[in-house]
Amino acid sequence: MTNLSLADLAGYLRQLGEGALITLELFFASFALAFVLGVLIGVATLARSRVIRAAWRVYASIFMGVPSLLVIFLIFYGGSAMLAAVLGEFGARIDISPFGAGVAALGIVYSAYVAELVRGAIENLPKGQFEGARALAIPPFIMWGRVILPQVMRLALPGLVNVWSFMLKETPLVSLAGLQDLVAATKIAAGATKEPFIFFVATALVFIAFSAASLWLANRLEVRLDRGQRRAPVRSPAQAEA
Amino acid sequence: MIPRPHAAEPAAEPAILLAQVVKRYGAHRALAGVDLQVRRGEKLVICGPSGSGKSTLIRCINALERHDAGRIVVNGIALTNDEGTVQDIRQEVGMVFQHFNLFPHLTALENCMLAPRLNRGLSKAQAEKLALAHLERVHLADQARKYPARLSGGQQQRVAIARALCMEPRILLFDEPTSALDPEMVKEVLGVIEELAASGVTMICVTHEMGFARRVADRCVFMDRGEIVEEGDAARFFEAPESERLRHFLAQILR
Repeated sequence: MTNLSLADLAGYLRQLGEGALITLELFFASFALAFVLGVLIGVATLARSRVIRAAWRVYASIFMGVPSLLVIFLIFYGGSAMLAAVLGEFGARIDISPFGAGVAALGIVYSAYVAELVRGAIENLPKGQFEGARALAIPPFIMWGRVILPQVMRLALPGLVNVWSFMLKETPLVSLAGLQDLVAATKIAAGATKEPFIFFVATALVFIAFSAASLWLANRLEVRLDRGQRRAPVRSPAQAEA
Repeated sequence: MIPRPHAAEPAAEPAILLAQVVKRYGAHRALAGVDLQVRRGEKLVICGPSGSGKSTLIRCINALERHDAGRIVVNGIALTNDEGTVQDIRQEVGMVFQHFNLFPHLTALENCMLAPRLNRGLSKAQAEKLALAHLERVHLADQARKYPARLSGGQQQRVAIARALCMEPRILLFDEPTSALDPEMVKEVLGVIEELAASGVTMICVTHEMGFARRVADRCVFMDRGEIVEEGDAARFFEAPESERLRHFLAQILR
């Protein structure tokens, strides 16, 4: 049925494995960047300053409106020139790798979505949570870290899981800037062996497996963040008497 | 008569002093130049119709609302825009809210431990001991490990009181502490507040619980439209109100 030797297959599978590792590294790095940047931006946009709000609107409309692929190309092909302009003559010429461009581009694009989620969740928190913390003289930095953000994470979790899934599916775009990720390796193997079906389906299964693992993890996390949220069971009069 | 020894100087100074305090929301004046002095150890009850400025008044004392004009002095500290001063005042002033404002992701015990650990530099063990002592004081030591959602409204409000006590404040502010409670839980919360009142802490309570006011208050203040209309000791306040506005208000709430 297939004229693929076992030795060849093993070789291609090894390449696919290496590609998968790069895809995962890219994904985790860009999600971490999107998360940190998004939380900071989300908190900052609540400031009453008009300048900050205007800046946020520009940021959101650019990165939610422009295709991710364009942002990747912009950073990959234009990033060196931009950095050189910012750093001036003093900065050595910095070449941007496909991996770096991918992390920066996906991180920045999805930070806008994370910021939107965080901002919405903060606005949905009762004002009393802030007042309770302020009345106890809890310093602002600790109020955010210990009181507000843990609750925000619980509210934003379903949205963050969506961002997580979308980002994973967008990672192959970076292969168009030359990154040898899972999809790039699959394409090479499929072309060389003339067995596109086997390799593309195998790669699809890898994405599905990772996605399933993510959902399982998200459920665990939800249970953990939900602690303390269950209402007290209603006691029947008989129990109350006892 | 034996001459009294000189009282320690700070005792003469009021716990809280408000002079011509004004708070505006746009064109609306929530506080229209309020003067009020609260002695150390005094129990003050503030009542008045909704929108009369009574909550705004006590929220200005710990700077949850910033006043626009006038002077506020708390335990000798003049309230300014300086963040350090604000924090100093909040260390002296505990507050209990209508809607409890407990942190839902922390247990009763953790709610009580958070601020003392940060502000008073207590170790975890010290903070836990302190928190348990104050939870005991509100009769909830056995519920310490529960999350707020597992407690009844009355229990939650008592945890909130314990949380405020853990800062060992010299002044306690209560902003309608029983208004959000089911009727059968009002008594347990008022009971705890009455026990605290006996401890000598300075207390301002915004409430419409007139029975409580009669039992606990040294002085009652009636506010309407951002002003203090009438004040007096509890007995005279209820039995012989002077102003038409207070008579009208009492007729409304006592029915």
